[in-house]
Amino acid sequence: MSRKAAPAAVAARAGTASSLPISIDDMCPVCKTMRYLNKDMEFLINTECYHSMCSNCVNRLFNDGPNQCPYAGCHRTLRRKGFRSAFFGDLSVEREVDIRRRVAAVFNQAEDDFETLRDYNNYLQMVEDLTFDLVSGNESKRRNAEAQLQAWEASHKAEIERNRKAGREADEQARRRQTAEKEAARQRRLDAIREAEDEKRGRLLSREAELDSMASADGGQRVQLKRRGQTSRVETAVNTAMATADVGKLSIRGLKERKVPAPDVPYDPFGGMRELVLPSRYSLEDGLSHPGIDKYRYDQGHTTGGYDFDEYTARVMFEAFAGLGVFIEDEKEAGIGLSTGQVATIAAGIAAVGDKMELD
Amino acid sequence: MASEDARYRQSSQFRLWSFSPAQLAAAREKANILAQSSIAARLASTPNTSAPTSNANTPDRDGTPSLPEFLTPAEEATMVSFYVSELLRAGDHAEVGEVVKATGAAFFRRFYITNSIMTYPPQEMLIVSLFFACKAEGIFPRIGDFVSKFGRDRPDEILAGEYLLCQGIRFAFDVKHPFRALKGASMELRRLGDIEEQRINAAERRAREILNFSPLITDAYFHYTPSQIMLAALSLADRGLAERLISHTFHYVAPPTDSGPGTPMAIGDAPTTRRELKIEDKEAIIGSQIRDKVLGTVEACRDMLAKELPERREHWSNKAVFKAQIQPIRKKLAKCRDPDRYNLVELQRARREQAGNRSDSEEDEPEDNGRSLEKDAAVFGDALPRDTKRRKVVKTEDPFGPPL
Repeated sequence: MSRKAAPAAVAARAGTASSLPISIDDMCPVCKTMRYLNKDMEFLINTECYHSMCSNCVNRLFNDGPNQCPYAGCHRTLRRKGFRSAFFGDLSVEREVDIRRRVAAVFNQAEDDFETLRDYNNYLQMVEDLTFDLVSGNESKRRNAEAQLQAWEASHKAEIERNRKAGREADEQARRRQTAEKEAARQRRLDAIREAEDEKRGRLLSREAELDSMASADGGQRVQLKRRGQTSRVETAVNTAMATADVGKLSIRGLKERKVPAPDVPYDPFGGMRELVLPSRYSLEDGLSHPGIDKYRYDQGHTTGGYDFDEYTARVMFEAFAGLGVFIEDEKEAGIGLSTGQVATIAAGIAAVGDKMELD
Repeated sequence: MASEDARYRQSSQFRLWSFSPAQLAAAREKANILAQSSIAARLASTPNTSAPTSNANTPDRDGTPSLPEFLTPAEEATMVSFYVSELLRAGDHAEVGEVVKATGAAFFRRFYITNSIMTYPPQEMLIVSLFFACKAEGIFPRIGDFVSKFGRDRPDEILAGEYLLCQGIRFAFDVKHPFRALKGASMELRRLGDIEEQRINAAERRAREILNFSPLITDAYFHYTPSQIMLAALSLADRGLAERLISHTFHYVAPPTDSGPGTPMAIGDAPTTRRELKIEDKEAIIGSQIRDKVLGTVEACRDMLAKELPERREHWSNKAVFKAQIQPIRKKLAKCRDPDRYNLVELQRARREQAGNRSDSEEDEPEDNGRSLEKDAAVFGDALPRDTKRRKVVKTEDPFGPPL
């Protein structure tokens, strides 16, 4: 499809608007009927060429099937089905909105689909450029953009469909959440009403009891009181029935949308510090004992307070093996992890200097 | 990298108080030289000093007395070792635990690396070290009881040096000792199952005896890690056990594809199941190469400890030795010590006074010694009302105090 004729239409419209006292909104450009003569006149446009005409003309011209646009110089073939009333008074705006809607339907990626915000912004920029070309580019640009759009649509059909569905689902969910919220609010309101009702009834009952306690009351009044109590009871029964019906429909508010967790590495309770916590040169399995500890192992003075002998064992073993591979001379002179050869040369150099100093 | 080693490297003992022999010698020399120059300057600025300078040296042609002969770093080291033995005796006398004694000795040695024995009095500092070691190890004796054990009646003699000591040891109060490690080693040996109980017990007893003396009086704490010291002591007690333990620990033999025929096989029973490591990691943590290195280090540490076996206790407390070796140095020390700083009580009083003056004049605050003590660290000694020049000392904000 193309919008070739649209600028012309806009120009024509601008021209008539400036030269004629009667605006285009009031006169059909095809049959020249004026609004003055037909109060219910409605202007329709077709998205093919955006030439507006009154509904009478549309009926007249296109009732018998597709026909050419009645505007001079416009050779588009229009169908009756394509006509609709314009939402905007300015048809160029109408057209732009249509184009944008169409582009948005095709390029419907959400921000979550991109790895970084920058990527998403770049994508938005690309889409906007394309849209601009379609809306107000010259002939070649427009054709180019059109081709791009169609190519994209063809090649990413599945993806577009999926995104659209996702978008619809999100909309649906939002809508559902909203209705649930409304529902909950209504429920609360109902509860409040019922509570008030209960209170009122309680008050009535107590009053009734009070009246009953007045032993000598005449019959007529008692009947009246009874009836009043009954009516209120029926009312509350209806209310509770409604409330229970609502409870069935209620959905939980504020539920986070569940995301599929990425297949990740197993959870590490040490947060990557496992290497620093677990012993690497010894093991803390059973069989570690020392006569100096064993005599306290069943001593109530130690066990009652919850003293853990395994902790002590772990500490003792750690101290026995901590720093066994730390060679202070090498590490302080040359740094951790240097080869012995390097260290030796450095040490020799230092030794030489030291000798000289002592000679001095 | 082995996790135990990585954790040890985070300790203040490794970060602040481990040196190679060359570094340690350099630090001591530097402390000695700095002490000499500052003491010389101070002696020169006090024209009519007491007898020691004048009767030992003939006056120059200017009339100012020439400088006394200073101690050499080697002499200082001898004195420090002597005073450590004194400290251990004092600890025995005060009936404190072995860990407290060891911590006190470590504090004392650390303090006299960056400070010279000519600057601060070792006889006082050793009691300060011992007292502060009690606190560092979680035992809190009453200061009054503590000083009375040493026949003194003024607690401030000890309290005066306390903050000084803290600065000197750079606030590293945690000393890692090999005592508990020895227990771990004996546990591990017991688990092997094929060594007689008595042999282990005897070796442990002897090793503990060694640990209570030898590493403290030598520089072992500066050059080796506690586990290495422990193994060296164990090796002195029973060489077979120590080597067995090392070869059991570093049992890993690389798979035959890349291990040469000369690779020594691990002895001992089959290794217990451990968590899986990569081959190169295993090689680096429990491989044969590092085992040889550990063996070498332990051997070096053993040589160092062997010079000061527990039997040498007698040597240090021997009267004849004292007369022959220590007394001359002490006489020399009496002549060349720092006139301003040798009296800790006086020094602290002066600093407090100065702090009070300063806070009065600068901030119009009542005297608040505790808070301004830290600032004073940079300026001690200059409040003695003798020389106005000396008051102009550059204020530095180093919480560890000046080098001397």
